[in-house]
Amino acid sequence: MIRELVVNVLCPFFGTVAYVVLFNVPRRYYLSCGITGIVAWLVYLWASGFASPAAASFVAVIVAVFLSRMLAVRMKCPITIFLLAALLPLVPGAGIYYTAYYLVTNQLSMAAERGIGAVKVAFGIVVGIAFVVSIPREVFQVHYWRGKKRRKRLKDLN
Amino acid sequence: MEINQITENKRDYMDLLLIADPQEDMIDRYLDDGELFVLSENGDVLTVCVVVPAGGGACELKNIATAYKYQRQGYGKYMVRYICEHYSSRYETMYVGTGNSRKTLDFYKECGFINSHIEANFFTDNYREPIYEDGIRLVDMIYLKKRLDTEIDVKRVVDLALRAGSILLKNGGEIFRVEETIQHICRRFHVNAVEIFTLSHGIFISAEEESGEAYTRVKHIPLSGTHLGIVAEVNNLSREISAGRVGIDEAFNKLEEIESMPPKRSYFQVLAAGTGSGTFAMLLGSAAAESIIAFGIGCIIQIWVLLAKKLNLSKIIVNITGGVIMTTLAAFILHFFGSGTLRLEGMITGAIMPLVPGIAFVNAIRDIADSDFLSGTVRMIDALLVFVYIAIGVGSTLAVYNSMIGGLAL
Repeated sequence: MIRELVVNVLCPFFGTVAYVVLFNVPRRYYLSCGITGIVAWLVYLWASGFASPAAASFVAVIVAVFLSRMLAVRMKCPITIFLLAALLPLVPGAGIYYTAYYLVTNQLSMAAERGIGAVKVAFGIVVGIAFVVSIPREVFQVHYWRGKKRRKRLKDLN
Repeated sequence: MEINQITENKRDYMDLLLIADPQEDMIDRYLDDGELFVLSENGDVLTVCVVVPAGGGACELKNIATAYKYQRQGYGKYMVRYICEHYSSRYETMYVGTGNSRKTLDFYKECGFINSHIEANFFTDNYREPIYEDGIRLVDMIYLKKRLDTEIDVKRVVDLALRAGSILLKNGGEIFRVEETIQHICRRFHVNAVEIFTLSHGIFISAEEESGEAYTRVKHIPLSGTHLGIVAEVNNLSREISAGRVGIDEAFNKLEEIESMPPKRSYFQVLAAGTGSGTFAMLLGSAAAESIIAFGIGCIIQIWVLLAKKLNLSKIIVNITGGVIMTTLAAFILHFFGSGTLRLEGMITGAIMPLVPGIAFVNAIRDIADSDFLSGTVRMIDALLVFVYIAIGVGSTLAVYNSMIGGLAL
């Protein structure tokens, strides 16, 4: 139990934070980057219970990118910072390794399977990000929803 | 030398304000509603000025004064230029009223003000004591005016916008962010006829001057390291500029400051790469011992990346060699220390992380999602090739290792 907690919460947190350091992200964003990483990983973990890795990545990316956009609006900073964090735990690093490994050991069908798997995951990430970044910007601003509530209330009154 | 707006304890600057306007209750009439600016250098206050809104798209410069020992050194003119630019987004015209004194009238004319109108007997009606300047008693208030949008120099605005845009692009900004920043800056300074074309490696910008001539600049921006801190700072600066809180000169200075922001210290980067490698290895299912080895390999890979950056090596070499280094190290450790207990993949999958082209990948996706297909494709190929290079490095080393010990040990 404790091991699972460490692996699934602390690892994505520190891994993500450590990685964004390499891209010189300012210190004030570390915490939110780490949280985005955790969310991406936990959703992936949950979704991979019933879906293929590519589909699970897609779901995880959607949730994490949604969170990234809200954070970006709230903290008034470029969304790239959080997108990077959302994506890291899902990058198919292992896929690259296995593809190379099976290629050189001449297990071509396994190599193809792994390689295509990695490409699929990458596509899941691409489509997920493209989906959420295409939502108009206003949706992520607090006053949009407040305004919406007010509009609805007005409508109810009338 | 810096200029700040003062919002609290404005009366602290009364000594200086009294130089320009000798009667304190007259100053009190406008000090509370007016916006007070202070030019200071090394903590000394040199020049102050107060501007109030005058209605009808105009504002009025009510008071401007420079401490006696700093007069005639250009501080006043600098201040006037600053506030003209500052208010150019909010007001069309700035008025200033002054007594009939050669010295002050010449000062304002040099600053670009022209005659407007005269308010008769202003000084004799409003001031208890007669005021003399250059031996002449002041009676009427002479008003001068200046159109604020003439202050803007199209070339300087375009240069500023281009500078901001190229810093963004160089440090990992997306295409749309670059274009938006350039547009915001141009619009803020009333340069409206502007066209921008941005690629992953260059910015083309063309603006029309009032005379109808086009001012065009092309800037090539070679690929280089990512610094998201700089992107965030330029983004903030662009907000400040749009809101009218930062003038052109100040913006140039700030950009210079931002651009010289250093990357994180090397040892910190190395430790971060190691931590990232170790934790991601554990996340991908490696055992604790393998993760610790991944930590070490990750550190070494980052040292290699930093070294390669210093030597300006190409991406092909950096990534292929990176793959070779990590696989060799892992194979070495496996062979001599941990046969049976360690797995090669447990060590390598984590150690790949410092090489993963995260920003290129994210930006490629964003550009494609924004329909900037050209730049998006270039960046996507850039990112995918890095993955291929790593795979080549890892694969070829595995092949060599395999043939050396006969394949079974893997």
